[in-house]
Amino acid sequence: MKIAAVSENRLFFFGPARGGDLEGESRSPSEDADEKALRERCGSGDVSAFEELYRTHGARMKSLAANLLGSRTDAEDAVQETFLKIYRGASSFRGAAKLSTWTYRILVNTCLDQRRRKGRAPDLTASGQADEPEAEIRAPAADHPLRMDLEASLASLEQKHRTVFLLFEVEGFTHREVGEILGVPEGKSRTLLFESKRELQRLLRRRGISGEVRA
Amino acid sequence: MSRCSRFEEATRREDPGAWRTFLAHASGCADCREELAAWEAISDAAPSLKKEWDSPRLWPRIEAAIAAQPSDTPVSSFRERRRLTWVPLAAAAALFVIAAVGLQVLGPTVTTPLTTRSMKDPLLEESALSEVEKSERAYVDSIGRLSRLAEPRLSQSDSPLFVSYREKITLLDSAIGDLRAQVEQNRYNTHLRRELLAVYREKQHTLEQVVREVKS
Repeated sequence: MKIAAVSENRLFFFGPARGGDLEGESRSPSEDADEKALRERCGSGDVSAFEELYRTHGARMKSLAANLLGSRTDAEDAVQETFLKIYRGASSFRGAAKLSTWTYRILVNTCLDQRRRKGRAPDLTASGQADEPEAEIRAPAADHPLRMDLEASLASLEQKHRTVFLLFEVEGFTHREVGEILGVPEGKSRTLLFESKRELQRLLRRRGISGEVRA
Repeated sequence: MSRCSRFEEATRREDPGAWRTFLAHASGCADCREELAAWEAISDAAPSLKKEWDSPRLWPRIEAAIAAQPSDTPVSSFRERRRLTWVPLAAAAALFVIAAVGLQVLGPTVTTPLTTRSMKDPLLEESALSEVEKSERAYVDSIGRLSRLAEPRLSQSDSPLFVSYREKITLLDSAIGDLRAQVEQNRYNTHLRRELLAVYREKQHTLEQVVREVKS
């Protein structure tokens, strides 16, 4: 059965997300050493370490923030604010969580704070492009026919559901990483993803979209 | 939603084996197949929501903002305060350990061999551990209640004071997450538990300050 084969291959939401580490897989010693070295350099206030962190994660951070805030300008502000918070707090960061996970945790909180301050929901219906003509957003290699409807439906989700969906399905984090970022157990991340997809499906059906659409 | 209850049931289970069993069922169930196709379509479309654009001025901006940070940032002074808070705590803990060891060695009711005791000293025994974990849970619940009290003002106010409280709580939550992960690896480590307790205490004080600010 074709669908079953595809689903099993991707392990659906039980398995690895796109681009993420395999769940349950431990990091290699060299990755650990790199992470530790980078963490120590950040802790000592070495600006080049922050630049490395930016080079590695900046694009993904901007994408996540843009989807959470609905504006590229706000997203860049959030990324900047996040780096300042990391700079101020890096020397007190210790422990088992990855520096990158901690970085995204601060980013998500910064975005949510920013949204509370502005008191508005993200305007995702226009891809956040209407108010910022100066910066060009590159379309993904192959745009998907569902993108506009999915984006509009996503904007209607509750914040926690939208955040989990963005982290797992769009940015490719694993459930373990999503759990660490949001400070919830891994199982809770799965439950939230399930709920978000169920709600998205309902919203898409209301817009007349069925499940047969394929890129 | 699928008219077949197996779909929702399978998606709520965290066991990949259960999912594979469900897939076998779905191959013969039209409702579940349709549902799967809809879910797959959402997952297929999701990566197209990624946003990419060039921001040549962003890193220089961040670098300049970092350079403009005062040497005595709010967080470094917070670290200083936290270090100061830990000095009496560490002294009290050291005194406690010395007293406990002294009682074990010199006390009249010693029955176990010294070698066994010395192996257990830095560790918590199972019954003591469950007591500690129970107390910790109660403490965490209390902090959760305090957090709910502070949350409305904390999330709504834009004043620099409350922004700083929010940042501090974010950092504390991060430290709590790290320490809890370490404690899970080594449940008997009293040192880690004390550190975790100290961070919880700092969070409690911070939340109390927020609540007091709200009342004043």
